[in-house]
Amino acid sequence: MIGEKPRKVFFLLIIFFLLIVFALLQILPLNTAQAVPSFQRQTGISCNQCHTVFPELTPFGRIFKLGGYVMSKTGKSYEFPPPVAGMVQASYTNARGLTSGVAPFDYNNRETDGLNLPQQLSLFYGGRIYDKIGAFIQGTYDGATNKIFLDMTDIRYANNTMVWGKNLIYGFTLNNSPSVQDVWNTTPAWRFPFASSSVAPTPAAGAIIDGALDQQVGGIGAYAFWNNLIYLGVAVYRSADEGIALPLSAGTFTEQIVDGTAPYWRLALEHRWKNHFFTIGTYGMQTDIFPSGNSSGPSDRFTDIAFDAQYQYMGTIEPEDIPGVDDAHKAKAGKYMITAHATWIRENQDWKASFPLGNTANRSDLLTTFRMNLNYYYRSPLGDIGGSTSYFSTTGEADSLLYASNPVDGSRTGIPDNDGFILEASYLPWEKTKISIQYTIYNKFNGASSNYDGFGRNASDNNTLYVVIWQMF
Amino acid sequence: MKRILGCAAIVLFLGATPLLAQSIGDNEYEKGKTLYKNKCQFCHGMRGDGKGPAAQSLLMHPEDFTTPEFWQDDIEKKITVEQKIENTIKKGKEMMPAFNLESDEIKAIILHMSNTFKKKSQSNNLGRDEK
Repeated sequence: MIGEKPRKVFFLLIIFFLLIVFALLQILPLNTAQAVPSFQRQTGISCNQCHTVFPELTPFGRIFKLGGYVMSKTGKSYEFPPPVAGMVQASYTNARGLTSGVAPFDYNNRETDGLNLPQQLSLFYGGRIYDKIGAFIQGTYDGATNKIFLDMTDIRYANNTMVWGKNLIYGFTLNNSPSVQDVWNTTPAWRFPFASSSVAPTPAAGAIIDGALDQQVGGIGAYAFWNNLIYLGVAVYRSADEGIALPLSAGTFTEQIVDGTAPYWRLALEHRWKNHFFTIGTYGMQTDIFPSGNSSGPSDRFTDIAFDAQYQYMGTIEPEDIPGVDDAHKAKAGKYMITAHATWIRENQDWKASFPLGNTANRSDLLTTFRMNLNYYYRSPLGDIGGSTSYFSTTGEADSLLYASNPVDGSRTGIPDNDGFILEASYLPWEKTKISIQYTIYNKFNGASSNYDGFGRNASDNNTLYVVIWQMF
Repeated sequence: MKRILGCAAIVLFLGATPLLAQSIGDNEYEKGKTLYKNKCQFCHGMRGDGKGPAAQSLLMHPEDFTTPEFWQDDIEKKITVEQKIENTIKKGKEMMPAFNLESDEIKAIILHMSNTFKKKSQSNNLGRDEK
């Protein structure tokens, strides 16, 4: 048993240690193009070429990913040393009901502690494996759950050729989360907000394609991008709870067991006009999932159909616009950037297995999700500054068994509706360091604005202040 | 007999030398072609016209190797076009990063570019003159 005072000293020492490490990361020559993160080291180009502000992709970042992460400055077919990188996130969350300890050190309350040191600690293999095979593999330690697991993983082979006189990039992907292979930041795996609290309350309802299968499935897919205009991708997923796909869910408990295989599709059209990049697209998935606790017998069917749109403006500058910057590549990557995203997902939930079991009140339900956000970034001589605003909403049919009354995460009305706004400000003093302040405002949470859970909690009680320091190395 | 064998050896040597040189040149060209495909083509295109798969995503247009202007020596800097290409590969230029390639690899790329795109630029130039 550690006393209160020694515990505080211990945490202060940890914070001091993290600050020292943080400072060293800036001083040591890791910030040059020859150092990590691994993509930068492999290609010799700055982070800004591929990211507006990480992890959001620029047009070139999308092409780099479609090209299989293999673009390299060396003449060899492999990378030595291997392209390995790291990430640490430390965060503070303020929302009603959170505890004041420090996760993961506070063993009893770590999943509700407002201070997360770290929130996440990740190790990446990011880059070429051999020749035209590359990978983005993320292994993560989560401070709130105190668990290590295989996070986002996308291994791909890519090549390019000419078809009807135009360029065609094509490839194959092996991944563990539907839409992790996608290159537009409208689809669920890489959408805004790019970081959020892991301890704040979140609405109960969400579409299956909207992250419910992340790290629980294994999928193979193929894709093609022709003439920088038409992108088509298809994939099939199955549960990674056993068999050869098992390593893809390493460290993650499979809550949603997929019955058979689940097809996923993606179609997008991109057009460039000067420095404006427009994209519209559709994606979706049909998934049969066994009712909770079952791994055989009848299953429920979820049909997700989504439409998305993205607008991106990349304002250029001349290298001389930034005094003291001798890296022309960095300066040319864009000074003013605006990105707007919108996604609409309609999920048809056919409870053909759960309804007879008495787990749902309706034979079928509909769930509609809508999100849009606007990001603005400015590369100033003192670092990158950004601001984002976002609106989100989910609406659906009342189902008193699916969304039952429960303190904090339940619903008094059985209605899954929620909506609200996210405001975020970001500052990157260096390319690989991001400090964000985010505030989430709920107008409606689990079906109501006031007393939504039947235990006196209001939607506004879940308004969340979240501060995160995000360091890549 | 010795004279005949000696003459035959000389004839064989003289005959084989161009073939050997051509074979080395072919190997160099093929090596350059492969390196170009792996390192340059993604931006500069298979045809060398600066219209590779990544070109559309870049804010600056990649160099077009099929123009006669590209193949002119840099008189101001007093360097040949081959030196210009070598410098660009080694040091990078504008959005293009520096590549960490061996000298023989760079020479092979230049040989491939010269044999493929320089000829195309000359025919483009002829087309212009005819017009």
